[in-house]
Amino acid sequence: MLKSTGIPTQKDLETVVPSKERLAKGPVAIMECFEKIPCNPCYTSCKRGAIKEFEDINDRPQLNVDICNGCGVCISNCPGLAIFVVDETYSETEALVKIPYEFSPLPEEGTYVTGLDREGKPVCRAKVVKVQNSKAQDRTPVVAIAVPKELSMVVRCLSLDDYYSDNTIVCRCEEVTLGEIREYIRKGYQTIEEIKRISRCGMGPCQGRTCSQLILEEIAKATGQDVADLKVHTYRQPTLPIKLGLLVGGEDDE
Amino acid sequence: MIKTDIAVIGGGPAGICAAIDAAASGARVLLIDRNSQLGGQLIKQTHMFFGSQKQHASKRGIDIPGILAEEMKKYQDKIEVMLDATVLGLYEDWVLTVEQNGKYKKIAPRAIVVATGASERFPAFPNNDLPGIYGAGAVQTLMNVYGVLPGESVFMVGAGNIGLIVSYQLLQAGVKVKGVICRSPKYGGYAVHASKIRRMGVPIMPQHRVIYAHGKEKLERITLIKLDENKKEIPGTEFDIETDVLCISTGLTPLGELLWQIGCEMKFIRELSGHVPIRNEEMETSIPGIFVAGDVAGIEEASSAMVEGRLAGLCCAKRLGFVNPDFDELKQDYLKQLHDLRSGPEGDTIRKGLAKIVI
Repeated sequence: MLKSTGIPTQKDLETVVPSKERLAKGPVAIMECFEKIPCNPCYTSCKRGAIKEFEDINDRPQLNVDICNGCGVCISNCPGLAIFVVDETYSETEALVKIPYEFSPLPEEGTYVTGLDREGKPVCRAKVVKVQNSKAQDRTPVVAIAVPKELSMVVRCLSLDDYYSDNTIVCRCEEVTLGEIREYIRKGYQTIEEIKRISRCGMGPCQGRTCSQLILEEIAKATGQDVADLKVHTYRQPTLPIKLGLLVGGEDDE
Repeated sequence: MIKTDIAVIGGGPAGICAAIDAAASGARVLLIDRNSQLGGQLIKQTHMFFGSQKQHASKRGIDIPGILAEEMKKYQDKIEVMLDATVLGLYEDWVLTVEQNGKYKKIAPRAIVVATGASERFPAFPNNDLPGIYGAGAVQTLMNVYGVLPGESVFMVGAGNIGLIVSYQLLQAGVKVKGVICRSPKYGGYAVHASKIRRMGVPIMPQHRVIYAHGKEKLERITLIKLDENKKEIPGTEFDIETDVLCISTGLTPLGELLWQIGCEMKFIRELSGHVPIRNEEMETSIPGIFVAGDVAGIEEASSAMVEGRLAGLCCAKRLGFVNPDFDELKQDYLKQLHDLRSGPEGDTIRKGLAKIVI
């Protein structure tokens, strides 16, 4: 329940999510303001008159979705940071979600961030399409991210932590993630030989066939070197894990 | 002895607005504040304010003192500001004694607006004096005034608007907020503030209380206990959380010392968070010529404090014969603004409290 968890319920959301037909027409504001509090800047900031005039300052905003064109001016004016704009026509598979984001550093356009739901749980990797930080927005920048269409009503926050990359498996044999590799590099393990010893990367059944290239690239990226200049790990026999019995048996002709 | 028409004690949102409206009515005003800049708690509020345009809604608290200072300039021949000055006493002959930069001064006003604000409540639990345990006001001062982080991770006690907002500001400053607790089944602050930190991953935990703080030189961890719906502890539900900072925001209480000293009739009103002066709708206390405004008259938001200040300044000036030509219109406007701000469900408690104290 919203007043004990801070998370709006499905029932709360039903009162503010526009129809499928409206969403199919283009960008529209989603006003996730569920409580009667004395506040009206959304109404006074909307130049199109899409928000019904407040009779009482405690009224909840009532949006006329046919007048709203999703311009997003209200987003930065809402003291509760409770307004988002969703554009489901962004692409075949993705929706654009505009989110007020008052944190520094701001994400850069073209980079990837982690889309969070209303509980702060990571739900997708999202591309940063636009970052608006104008004077009129008065230090409440708006970040537009592209998310899978089915998550257009789920993603409401973002994190610069690259959750999905960080949790991506680099070494499938030993289940070492990209996040762990990056952490080791940060701590000063900056050759593949060192990383192998600390993480067991490359010690599994495939003997580093997948991970070694990926790790080299990560080291290169983090240290500003060229992969060509990096030392590779020592290649030892055998190339595959084998049963001791195979060796004990000796050669056929012995 | 410094003489003036009206002494306004406290230069927060209520006091500044009282000074402006009293001066606009023609009175000479001495605005006294203990800090070295005006604004009171506004100077730490980096978030946008609620309310309507008249109370600077959607502007950030930190920007409002500047907006009000601009308005004060219009009356600079009327308003004198006395900073770094703490009022020590208010005596029966209406003399105010003040300490300013190590000097002792006396002020003789003809009328007074007391806008001294509030002080923080602090819960009692073992080891609550360990370094690392702060009031929310101190955390805001450290972060938002001095640019100093209180620690690496914070656990927040209290989920009213202050607790929720300070949690958000901590996240903005890059501090990990491990959780926010409150005793009731529902948190007290606005849902939008709660949602804002929840979607950053901060758990909001109703029905919990902190019962113990642990640490040698400084705070290392806390023990929490779950509460039932009647806020009673459920034995056996204790658990520990590691944190280096515990931030306390369990409410404010009106700072009415000066009103007690001069003998204003005071009453304990739970809905207004403590002892508050009996007053009329013009904010005049049981002693004619002594007015109140803002949190000292009952804990509310800065938006209503500003309107109360204007109302008190306007009416206090009138008490001395400085009647603003638009007095009736202004007074009705202020009363309407206050009515509107308090008319919603969030204003229930305030309305109940005021019904017991406004005569």
